[in-house]
Amino acid sequence: MQDFINIGKRIPKMDAEDKVTGKAVYIQDLKVPGMLWGKILYSPHPHARILNMDTSAAERLPGVKAVLTGYNTPLIKFGFYKDNMPLKANKVCSYRDEVAAVAATDPDIAEEALGLIRVEYEILPAIFDPEDAMKEGALLIHEEHLGGKEKKPTNILNLPWRLVAGDVDEARKNSAHVAEDRFKLTWVNHCCMGTSGCVARFDLRNNLTIYSNTQIPALAQRDYTEALAAMGLEGKKARVIKTTIGGAFGSKLDTYAYEYIAILLAYKTRKPVKIIFTREEEFFATSPRQPAVIDIAQGCTKDGTFTFRDVRMVLDNGAYTSWGATTPSVMMMPISSLYKVPNVRYVAKCVYTNNTYSQAFRGYGNPQATFAIESQIDALAEMAGIDPLDFRMRNANTPGEVTPQHFNITTCGLRECIDVVAQKLDWRQNRGKRDGRGIGMASMIHVGGGARVYKSDGCGTIIKIDDFGTVNVITGATDMGQGADTVIAQIVAEELGVRVEDVIVTHTDTDICPWDVGAHASRTTFVAGNSARGASKKVKEQLLEVASRSLGENPENLDIRDRTIFSKLDPEKKSPLGKILRASHYTAGGRMVMAEHFYDPPNENLDREFKGNLSVTYAYGTHGVEVEVDKETGQVKILKYVAAHDVGRAINPMLLEGQVYGGAAMGIGYALTEQLILKNGKVINPDFRDYKILTAADVPNIEAVVIETDDPSGPFGAKGIGEPGLVPTAPAIANAIYDAVGVRIKELPITPEKVLAALKEKTK
Amino acid sequence: MKKFDYLKPHTLEEALSLLSQYGDKARLIAGGTDAIVMNKQKKISPDVLISLQGIQGLDQIESNGTFKIGALVTHRTIEQSERIKKRFPLLAEASSVLGSVQIRNVATLGGNLCTASPSAETAPSLLVYEAEVLLVSRMEERRLSLPSFFLGPGETALDKKEILKEIILPSPPPNSLGAYLKLGRRKSVDLSVVNVAVLLTLDPKTGICERARIALGAVAPTPLRAKETEKILEGNLLDERLIIRAGDWAKQECSPITDIRGSAEYRREMVAVLVAKAIKQSVKLPRK
Repeated sequence: MQDFINIGKRIPKMDAEDKVTGKAVYIQDLKVPGMLWGKILYSPHPHARILNMDTSAAERLPGVKAVLTGYNTPLIKFGFYKDNMPLKANKVCSYRDEVAAVAATDPDIAEEALGLIRVEYEILPAIFDPEDAMKEGALLIHEEHLGGKEKKPTNILNLPWRLVAGDVDEARKNSAHVAEDRFKLTWVNHCCMGTSGCVARFDLRNNLTIYSNTQIPALAQRDYTEALAAMGLEGKKARVIKTTIGGAFGSKLDTYAYEYIAILLAYKTRKPVKIIFTREEEFFATSPRQPAVIDIAQGCTKDGTFTFRDVRMVLDNGAYTSWGATTPSVMMMPISSLYKVPNVRYVAKCVYTNNTYSQAFRGYGNPQATFAIESQIDALAEMAGIDPLDFRMRNANTPGEVTPQHFNITTCGLRECIDVVAQKLDWRQNRGKRDGRGIGMASMIHVGGGARVYKSDGCGTIIKIDDFGTVNVITGATDMGQGADTVIAQIVAEELGVRVEDVIVTHTDTDICPWDVGAHASRTTFVAGNSARGASKKVKEQLLEVASRSLGENPENLDIRDRTIFSKLDPEKKSPLGKILRASHYTAGGRMVMAEHFYDPPNENLDREFKGNLSVTYAYGTHGVEVEVDKETGQVKILKYVAAHDVGRAINPMLLEGQVYGGAAMGIGYALTEQLILKNGKVINPDFRDYKILTAADVPNIEAVVIETDDPSGPFGAKGIGEPGLVPTAPAIANAIYDAVGVRIKELPITPEKVLAALKEKTK
Repeated sequence: MKKFDYLKPHTLEEALSLLSQYGDKARLIAGGTDAIVMNKQKKISPDVLISLQGIQGLDQIESNGTFKIGALVTHRTIEQSERIKKRFPLLAEASSVLGSVQIRNVATLGGNLCTASPSAETAPSLLVYEAEVLLVSRMEERRLSLPSFFLGPGETALDKKEILKEIILPSPPPNSLGAYLKLGRRKSVDLSVVNVAVLLTLDPKTGICERARIALGAVAPTPLRAKETEKILEGNLLDERLIIRAGDWAKQECSPITDIRGSAEYRREMVAVLVAKAIKQSVKLPRK
């Protein structure tokens, strides 16, 4: 292993002290002079026609500065399907539909004003089951939406998710064993500790500044700029400034109605307007994980070699469209490429309903698909009479493989991950007892080297060095708590021969920072890391060149270690970095040391058949769990949890383990306790009392095992690890429950009631 | 949240006088872990909140003679009180699993009873100890047994002009053993799907159950005693068959509803499981 100074070190996150002492400024903390407070009035019905609105009483309330509705604001269409607008006119299609908004001098006044707005509705019948909404003659959510070949009104979106490789039907005929199941996944909320919010303000020239929580500053900037154009402010500029983000997990990968409402209110009032969600709003008016109904069949030969995988899905799109509808593009990844499966077919339909609409959420569909695949693998292995551990090993991906979706598998530590989990669980000893205790495992694949979702997967970095040798890294990356600030600092420090504390990473302002497509697809360490490393190399070249003059040594004979430039030939020839820079700045004809680098990884967009090498490298992992099931109450207790991940290289093992712990904890909640419960479209548990996120006391001891495969394309060998930690959690737990008591739960969350009902069904 | 005035009287008399002055517009507040939440959720909208925090003596535990716990004693105090742990361990156990440490630091025993949630954490334990509540008004004091105090979900016998002053706990007979069990979805910050308290007095020589007290929570409009089940146990030797029968019987004595936390069927089933488990646990384990 190479001898690194900064890479591989357990360095606490740069802003950890600010955060734990309450000094970090979150959007909640931000106050701007003259600021007004915005509040939103939501629909009281899941589907209704707006007949009449009267805002006069609200407008008369002292302290109210503006009342906006869909009738007195310009039409701004947003979301990638452009079917959403900030304030709804004519019709509401879900309980989270925004019908009016108020800006007032005080949040209580704004709230009171909402109560004075009178809206008359004609209640329409509503539809909540996507399979019902697909049927011929079903009532239409958006009457103007046309789809299919005939361009007829329909609730089915024009998103033809379809991946075919090989001949599934033929392979099925030739399979010795075929398992067929239906799995159902429901909504879960990101549960960011910091609720959503923003502050929007205009300057006198009508340029917009928005303080935001976004994890996609450059793309959000584009969205806001489009909104400005729709408001008649064409050519005006939008500047996005990020405050400290109180958790994102994909929730801030799109722009939301509340942000446009803040912009509209700020424009109307000529004052800065702040909107902050209550926890209740955070639960019902933000977009949860995409639910799915999954019909899956997998087959194998007599000796347990995969023959085919055939998956059909119906996705409840809700009333509007955000990135949830594109999760099939990622679900394809495990469906086509988790284990070696020669014949693959995947078809998914997204269907409008009067429910809430979904968004990106850590794993982006992968946890849903992996739950179905990995749960069923245990069933298929049982049919074939093969230990599921052996079944997985037999079919595991290996380096050099090209998958049916045309992914080039380069480094791949899947077998190592499976192996270490089996060892830690004492697999052969503990499995198959059915005595109330059981063990299970599940694996995952995810993009680990960026993901070319857009035409570019790039990220820019600017580095400059000041008089004292302080390195300013201005990155396109977004730190949303995951540790981008720290990992980038380590990479730069390693490359430049300085200490991590010498590096200041700026990542908060679109007026300053270079372009980046956003913090998604576990791409930041890989893409922003490679970008930062590239910029560092250029800066280093400049430094050595500048130093060569003052030290009288050829640049190629110079290097930097611990803030000092020295000659590799004559160690006496050396100078502190700051001194070299000062000399450069204070000399006639001097220069500043600064470089930029744009890194766009050599990965491919998926083609029309949804094939292509989406990522430069892929991340693998296996989770293993031991559970105890109380046969009387149905309660599941996790006794042991092992999470092994092929991470390429751990740039910062402390932060990396944090990602794994956080992912697994989130995954355990997804598996056992968490559910956003919608009753006829209405979220009935919009609080932490009844939305059962795990508490600190509930999180079991999670053992994170780091498998390093030193990926040649990664910065110092690293792959992405942001999402993987929760991808295989739920199926590993479901498999362990099966091993413990012999029941297979195919719907999340696996509540005690479901376990008990299945146990009863089994003994019938 | 609707704005309100916050009044903090220093004596019980002052508090009672404010209460009659403001009538329906006022609401008492102790720890505030329920009152403030209900206010935010617009389930209550008082003009005046009268805090009991400033009143001397309401946060005291008195153990000389009759055992009394002031209404303002917090759950944190209860779970850590050596006196309570020794004499009323089921109450200490119940308080120790209520909410989280942060909540227990402010939430009070009186508040838990006055909120009158069917799943009130401390209610089953207090029911098996046959606790009484002392209600005071400007005119009089009255003592009520808990079953007559609880009237329905969120409803108590507390008159608008009354304040719950203290909880009175008679000493259980010697040789009493018990258990409090809570079934929830998480280890903290959770409401019970079902909770059960069992207190048994066994003849030390014969092992026969002389006296049984069983209480159930979250399975009826109010926490309740399972009196028929108690009768089954009393006068009998507690063997496996009888314990299972007791569980089955308790199932019949409750009337759970289906809600977001559990279905009626599951709750009923869990009453049987928890009652049987609690009996077994009581018999096996000596008092903490």
